[in-house]
Amino acid sequence: MRFESVPRAGTSRVLEILAPALSLLAGLAAVGLVFLLKGLNPLFALGEIFRSSFGSVFGLTETVTKALPLILVGSGLALTFQAKFWNIGAESQLLLGAVFSTWVGLTWGPSLPGPVIVPLMFLAGFLGGALWGMIPAALKIRLGINEVISTLMLNYIAAELVKFLVVGPWKGASKHGYPYTDDLPAQAILWLFPGTRISPILLVLAPAAAATLTFLIFRTRFGYEVRVIGENREAARYAGIDFFRTSLLFMAVSGGLAGLAGTGELTAIHHHLSYPDTLSAGYGFTAIIVAWLGRLNPLLVMVSGVFLAGIIVGGDAIQMSLGLPAVTVQVFNGIILIFLIMGEFFLRNRIRWVRRTPRHG
Amino acid sequence: MKKIARILFFAITVLAAFGLVLSCGGKKEAGAQAAAEKKVKAGFVYIGPAGDYGWTYAHEQGRQFVVKEFPWLETVSVESVPEGDAVRFIDRLVQEQKVDVVFTTSFGYIDDTVKAAEKYKDTMFFHCSGFKRAPNLGNYMGDMYQIYYLNGLMAGALTKSDKIGYVAAFPIPELFRHMNAFALGVKETNPKARVHVKWIYAWYGPDKAREAAEALVAEGCDTLAFTEDTPTVIEVAQEHTAKGKTIRSFSHYSPMQQYGKDSVVSGQLTDWGVLYKKILQDYRDGKLTDLSNYDLLWFMKEGAVELGGTWTDRINPAYVEPLKAVKVKSAAFGEIPVYDLVMKRYDQMKQGREVFDPFTGPIKDQKGNIVIPAGQIASIPHIFLEMMYQVDNFATPLPQQK
Repeated sequence: MRFESVPRAGTSRVLEILAPALSLLAGLAAVGLVFLLKGLNPLFALGEIFRSSFGSVFGLTETVTKALPLILVGSGLALTFQAKFWNIGAESQLLLGAVFSTWVGLTWGPSLPGPVIVPLMFLAGFLGGALWGMIPAALKIRLGINEVISTLMLNYIAAELVKFLVVGPWKGASKHGYPYTDDLPAQAILWLFPGTRISPILLVLAPAAAATLTFLIFRTRFGYEVRVIGENREAARYAGIDFFRTSLLFMAVSGGLAGLAGTGELTAIHHHLSYPDTLSAGYGFTAIIVAWLGRLNPLLVMVSGVFLAGIIVGGDAIQMSLGLPAVTVQVFNGIILIFLIMGEFFLRNRIRWVRRTPRHG
Repeated sequence: MKKIARILFFAITVLAAFGLVLSCGGKKEAGAQAAAEKKVKAGFVYIGPAGDYGWTYAHEQGRQFVVKEFPWLETVSVESVPEGDAVRFIDRLVQEQKVDVVFTTSFGYIDDTVKAAEKYKDTMFFHCSGFKRAPNLGNYMGDMYQIYYLNGLMAGALTKSDKIGYVAAFPIPELFRHMNAFALGVKETNPKARVHVKWIYAWYGPDKAREAAEALVAEGCDTLAFTEDTPTVIEVAQEHTAKGKTIRSFSHYSPMQQYGKDSVVSGQLTDWGVLYKKILQDYRDGKLTDLSNYDLLWFMKEGAVELGGTWTDRINPAYVEPLKAVKVKSAAFGEIPVYDLVMKRYDQMKQGREVFDPFTGPIKDQKGNIVIPAGQIASIPHIFLEMMYQVDNFATPLPQQK
């Protein structure tokens, strides 16, 4: 007696919507159990999470603040995942974007006006992320090195590079011995809507990037090639698609978008380079789930990005309002995500219970 | 594309409806709260987890103390808030939790607290261990440099290898003040001994602290002190001691002697409860209208800090006899057992800085420059803001500075 999973032939539109909704409900029920074990009313606690992320103006602005980098990174990941190129290194591409922009901002910021330095920093951010992203693509196509390993390992290298910079050569003179660079000059810092941490530039940039990527993936020759590589490598080879050029290109775009998210976090939120975990809060990893929940479609990534941002914000909030330890938030996020991924699996696969069949011999 | 647009629309509608329903529920609740009796609500922002058993744990004990003390007090706390990312937590404390008072309990929150105080004029902010003030932003600190000095006296007397290890968090004035006071104590009882430092660039970093402590032991240090928020260094010292290689250690912030019964000699303790009690009572009584000059800086005299690895023993009973056996020549007291020297200095400092202070000149930095002139007691700004040097019995050079 054993279970066997069989891919479903096709799924209906109703199921496509129902599956994530049901898995979300199941996940929330499981989280509710955890709250119950902590002696809290699960309905109240869960309500509190969504109330604090979507139910007030302040909560919504915070959710959007977190959603913007997730959408940027997630859109780029959707592109590489379409090609079945598993880029687990968005976190490092984001960091490199921040590093490049920090250099530009600190070096040229003081002598250039805002309308010049800000685009330059975003350009540098894109470049930093793109260059870092192209490394694993080149390694894979030229040397056959598995991209899961190389992108994952490059995360550590990038994180150590950032630490080295802020503890060593770039440590700010104005930071009392703390491992931060000096603050960017005022004209290199983005204007924010008053009372929020949302910059209009990023508010436009993230959806624009998602829309462009959707067009790129589904409406251009390049996007078609990417999808063919993902669907059927042999067919792609037979059709004469240049794997090297295409892989470099989609990793440049994906890494570049992560780099833009790094620039955004730097200029809108932090104003200086600091420790990697302060700088990014794991956006590069969360965005992997964002991309999958969004069905590898950047337009849907906007929805899943907002949703996951809401969970993060709500998680922070219940720590305060319910007095839960900080790690409860991680437990919460983990459980929800596992259920969503399981839902995705059950949507694509049918589970059969197979009775042991008599064998010969 | 139509299909996608429809799914998008559906998802947004659901989210919006969900939010709307919940927000209505929220408003009702807030109204009910306002109708209840008027209370003071205080928010605490912590750098580590409340269970770190060090710095944050000590603040958490202080918070629990005032909660018991004042029936009119309500508190909210948030832990593991990274330095440089405190704004979003402070925003939420003020905007959503509607606190009247915010305590930010790590030096690294300094700029975020200043920004928050500018933004929220009606909220009172108290930043622990900082120096920037505003009409609604004050400072408080229970500082233990005097206790560090007492521990240094004991460390110098007990070391056999004349190498004393120090695991340090960040190269900032607070650390140099504490490490220098400790080193001056070492120098008084053992001029030959040198202090070796490992910087870990983290307040809460048990893994890094363990690595640093092991490295110091491997380099020949037989006595360890530290500034990091967990009992890790003590655990390392105790492990070596249990295996037969005695490594002495000094507890930090919370009573950590239980983690190193044979290893811990003494330590520094802070009672944040008395400070929080004073601040909140004054706030409640309406005494705090302008915080521009508010700097509640308490030492041994005010009872904010105490000597010991537990709240009951100032010195681990296992080390009382060894300390009585070591005699040193003291300029002030002649030939005296170190145990008695510690107690005499303790009594002096308990009376106030003017009676005795470890930072009394002449004191030289590592380069041989006189940093505190002969006969002078260092000013508070000097030891709290300007101290970015190590005194002359450190073996390790300063970390890279700009």
